[in-house]
Amino acid sequence: MALINLTSIQPTGYTVLDDGAVPGEGENVAIGVDRLLHEGDAFFATAGSVGVIIDTETPFAKLTQIVEKIGFAIVDFPAFADGRGFSLAVRLRKDFGFKGEIRATGPVIPDQALFLLRAGFDTVETTDARKPAFEAALERFPAFYQTDFGGQLSVAHARHTQGGQITEEQRLSRKAPERQREAS
Amino acid sequence: MYAYDTYDHAMVNARVAEFRDQVERRVKGELTEDEFKPLRLMNGLYLQLHAYMLRVAIPYGTLSANQMRTLAHIARKYDKGYSHFTTRQNVQFNWPKLSETPDILQELADVEMHAIQTSGNCIRNVTTDQFAGATADEVADPRPYAELIRQWSTFHPEFSFLPRKFKIAITGAKQDRAAVKWHDIGLVVKENAAGDIGFEVLAGGGMGRTPLIAKPMRDFLPVEDLLSYLEAMLRVYNEQGRRDNKYKARIKILVDAMGIEEYTRQVEAEWEKIRHIPIDVPAAEVARIKSFFAPPPLAVLADEVPDVDDLAQKNFIFKSWLANNTGSHKVPGYVNVTISLKPHGGIPGDASDEQMDLVADLADSYSQSEIRVSHEQNLILPHVARRDLPALWSKLDAAGLGSPNAGLLTDIIACPGLDYCALANTRSIPIAQSITERFDDLKRLMDIGPLKIKISGCINSCGHHHAGHIGILGVDRKGTENYQLLLGGSGAEDASKAEILGPGLDEHGIVDAIEKVVAVYLGEREDGEEFLSAYRRLGADIFKEAVYGTH
Ligand code: SF4
Repeated sequence: MALINLTSIQPTGYTVLDDGAVPGEGENVAIGVDRLLHEGDAFFATAGSVGVIIDTETPFAKLTQIVEKIGFAIVDFPAFADGRGFSLAVRLRKDFGFKGEIRATGPVIPDQALFLLRAGFDTVETTDARKPAFEAALERFPAFYQTDFGGQLSVAHARHTQGGQITEEQRLSRKAPERQREAS
Repeated sequence: MYAYDTYDHAMVNARVAEFRDQVERRVKGELTEDEFKPLRLMNGLYLQLHAYMLRVAIPYGTLSANQMRTLAHIARKYDKGYSHFTTRQNVQFNWPKLSETPDILQELADVEMHAIQTSGNCIRNVTTDQFAGATADEVADPRPYAELIRQWSTFHPEFSFLPRKFKIAITGAKQDRAAVKWHDIGLVVKENAAGDIGFEVLAGGGMGRTPLIAKPMRDFLPVEDLLSYLEAMLRVYNEQGRRDNKYKARIKILVDAMGIEEYTRQVEAEWEKIRHIPIDVPAAEVARIKSFFAPPPLAVLADEVPDVDDLAQKNFIFKSWLANNTGSHKVPGYVNVTISLKPHGGIPGDASDEQMDLVADLADSYSQSEIRVSHEQNLILPHVARRDLPALWSKLDAAGLGSPNAGLLTDIIACPGLDYCALANTRSIPIAQSITERFDDLKRLMDIGPLKIKISGCINSCGHHHAGHIGILGVDRKGTENYQLLLGGSGAEDASKAEILGPGLDEHGIVDAIEKVVAVYLGEREDGEEFLSAYRRLGADIFKEAVYGTH
């Protein structure tokens, strides 16, 4: 398994906690949305960083109560064409101002690398064989037509601020870990 | 027309390189067919019955003469010497080799064209009125807004894997020639009392097995809010549109299930949250795009041209062509010319490489090097001086492009059907050919007047049969090809859904039935009453009686 780091964030190491299992002292763990909503203070006091595993059926409104409690989030794609995963990441960044790591798991493909980055993902789990293709895909496009949640301004805005040229700085800025985000 | 800047060029070139890489990875087995499929579809590459088909976008239906020459060149070099213009302002090549498609895309990119998002579950080519910017009945040219939407929707990071395909149409004219009410989102350009431009917004239209007409959401959306509002519309759909059943995945089903009021409420709530994020572009960008669509400098000419009238008196075909294939222009002394791609007995929407080259040359001579493509599968030369019409017509006629039937019964929309399409139940093209052969008499056609026949080879409705004054739908009846007859549809501002008249008919029966329907109309019409109005007044029964002899 390879981890693609889209934003140069420090990725979180964690264990996915089985149903009923408890975290060790200071252990970074990931649990599902429903369990997270039911865990009490003791759980959070024991665990290190707690992450939530969000499946794509989750309505974003449900995330309201959990963003406060988590250090990182994992959006689990059941299929690469399930585009709800992209909106979930957008919602985390945009509606809840979430600044921690957002990771994509499941069968996402290298050709989605820039979409993932631009929707607000930091990291992607993939197979070792796919790592080079993911990295190549990240370099594919020099500019974008949309302002995105990775902090990139749209071409339409750049045209009127940069004299129509794509600067090296602009090209690279999408990789900067510090994002400008709208307060929600 | 719009001209690419360095950004736009960089984007299409990057896309070509990306697709070349995807094809190589597919060939090497690094991508599975399941993974490759949505990627190739987003580049307009379909697997058809016999071969791949490449669908190229003609954004908002506007082409330059040089772009048309490139299409002719592609038809010659990579295909069998022809191409097919579709009902959504795209052009299709039916026989490209997979390995050559990256080269075709590069040739297109070199003339500022692409096949981006012409298929797949993403936002498709934005379509509009073929006479945009040239017609007399227009509030404003819709194409600058279509270009804004084209850019915003291209490689959208969040909306490239929607539940289903997504089609936006926009019109700026009172007469709706873009069928906006049959689209996922329809936009109608309006001007408010203060003289500001905005849009009426409609959502949830679509054909297929559940035909629904779009419902109004907002009466006036200011231009500066267009993209953020669309973003809110798409987000609610992306999150809540059904993904469990592809036949229920279009936005029309979501809007129908939750109600347009609830959908609007959720969209407006989301829009309030995002309208201050820089999604909408600076005013300077709107102005920049608009400047490309400035009307051509045409000197006002006399509307009366004796040469034209003389020829019309002598030549009934020219007279008919003048009546049917030319339409009023903003500037006196000019018209917009429709080049019919519906020769009787021919294949609707097909053009050969020589014909495309000729149209390009004629555009250089007569229409400011501009060509349009209509959703009715015809080509248009805008801004033609009336005095040039006799010369233009004779050149078109000599090349088989002078059919005087625009808007008449034989100006048929037909999907590719079983001749090409893997999903088809029946053939469509041969039915269109039989009808045009049966109604080959121009005097009779002129007498019948405006009548739109639309043919689909299956319920996916690519031939828009739901919106036909007469619609024909191919169905499979125990392994034989069978055709249902529908009447009373409209794709215009008075949009309506055609209703099935009765049991299906075979390929001969359907042509006979159309004759009977037309006979009822001719017998019952009031003075100056067109077919659709007559049908609406008379109701279905009298037509049913004529076709099926029921009592
Ligand atoms: S309507 Fe059916 S047969 Fe015709 S092109 Fe569409 S999918 Fe194919």
